[in-house]
Amino acid sequence: MASALPTLAIPGQRLGPVSSYASGPGTHVQNANIYASIAGPVLVDPASSKAGKSTLSVSRSPLRKAGNAAPVPPSTPKATAPSTSKPRYNTLPAVDSIVLARVTRVQKRQATVSILVVLDETANQAPASTASASDNDNIESILTSAANPENHSNTDELRFQALIRKEDVRAVEKDRVVMDEMFRVGDIVRGTVISLGDQSFYYLTTARNDLGVVMARSEAGNMMFPVSWKEMRDPVTGAAELRKVARPF
Amino acid sequence: MPLDTSTTYPLTKLRLDGRRWNELRLLQAQISTNPASSGSSYLAMGNTAIICSVHGPAEGRRGDATGGSAGSAGAIVEVDVNVAGFAGVDRKRRAGGSDKQSSRIGTILRSAFQSHLHTYLYPHSTISIHVSVLSADGSLLAAAVNACTLALVDAGIPMPGLLCACTAGMSGSASTPRDPNNDELDPLLDLSLPEEQELPFLTVGTTTTVPVGEAAMINDDEDEMKVSMLTMDSKVHCTYVETMLAVGIDGCKQIREILEGVIKKSARR
Repeated sequence: MASALPTLAIPGQRLGPVSSYASGPGTHVQNANIYASIAGPVLVDPASSKAGKSTLSVSRSPLRKAGNAAPVPPSTPKATAPSTSKPRYNTLPAVDSIVLARVTRVQKRQATVSILVVLDETANQAPASTASASDNDNIESILTSAANPENHSNTDELRFQALIRKEDVRAVEKDRVVMDEMFRVGDIVRGTVISLGDQSFYYLTTARNDLGVVMARSEAGNMMFPVSWKEMRDPVTGAAELRKVARPF
Repeated sequence: MPLDTSTTYPLTKLRLDGRRWNELRLLQAQISTNPASSGSSYLAMGNTAIICSVHGPAEGRRGDATGGSAGSAGAIVEVDVNVAGFAGVDRKRRAGGSDKQSSRIGTILRSAFQSHLHTYLYPHSTISIHVSVLSADGSLLAAAVNACTLALVDAGIPMPGLLCACTAGMSGSASTPRDPNNDELDPLLDLSLPEEQELPFLTVGTTTTVPVGEAAMINDDEDEMKVSMLTMDSKVHCTYVETMLAVGIDGCKQIREILEGVIKKSARR
């Protein structure tokens, strides 16, 4: 009765009975059977408790890159199978996520930034080791490339917008913050999401030592390096500029 | 005497292009052809070539009457069909989608996929399907349905099965009742444009569905299908409709196997 699960599911393909599995994302239940709703590899999530059932789900991998999924045998509900790492797609900024953003507008009481990359725990530990699978994963190319109107997929207007308020720039001396001395347009800022905000803007904070400006260009257009918590210096001209500098790793 | 199917088919039992009655034309398909859209596909059934792109599920337009009326419970499917001016034998000056044929195909596609997709998962959303006909050589509606199905699978929109369509006709004028003793007409599968202009035909679209009943759980048969779409404009006696339906459903089964192969080949690459 219970046949092996297919590696790749086609919409409408029967995956298994409801008595053996629970229906997850990408599947639907009809007449006591679980069917695939989208095309992609089949994932079996082991049951969290002993009395529960394994969860069947179909992942929406990019169809041109999938194929490395090994055929997963149907595990019994009592067996404890090692949990495989779930593929990660369409990462959204959540509360306490660390993001990299580009400053697009600096006003008197707030700064508008455009979120470029959402960092996660593994990217913090080893940011260079992750293989670039898509455009959003290539962090170096996103940060070094300027805002190009020709490349529409990288336009800052299409990305999530966020605000850094004056009170959230640093943890001490909040009343004496001058926004022009903290950020400039075009700087790359590392921040933490403190709120999902309203319909248009997330809310970021840089009120930690490891948050702030990580990459900035000087007036002459050269890439500056940080020298203190509030100062960056141009290696060519030697001129110093004021920023809210993030502590390097 | 000009060559037509109703006079040459009884002599040779072969059609004008050399096919037998139950043979499909060469079906070539490819998905993920347009990186700018959520899902895209290219499909050619014989000389009928169609490109299709899907955008969405996206937020509906603010001033849209259908989206704003009382808050829709599911996604709204919008279809835009564009037959190119160079698609037919005679070049048409108005290349837009405002002629009668394009709007009628668009209406049928919107009705078919609105009830077919799992639209309840995306409330207040819009799924836009753009169909461009590059070359028209018969079975235009069936090719458009197959191209839309591939594009929607590429976009990752949930659906209960693959909606596949095919045309079926009769090899002569079927306006008189079928004579059991002198049955000389044969059904034809996947009509081309000269056959469509001459012979009666219908377009049927099927999708996989779950058989109902207690015996269905024991039976592991995967060949059950449900007719989701049926269109016919010709004058045909009712005794021939069942034959055409049976041949069309069998053609949909063959097309579904070809489309499943295209999806698996793209996913495996």
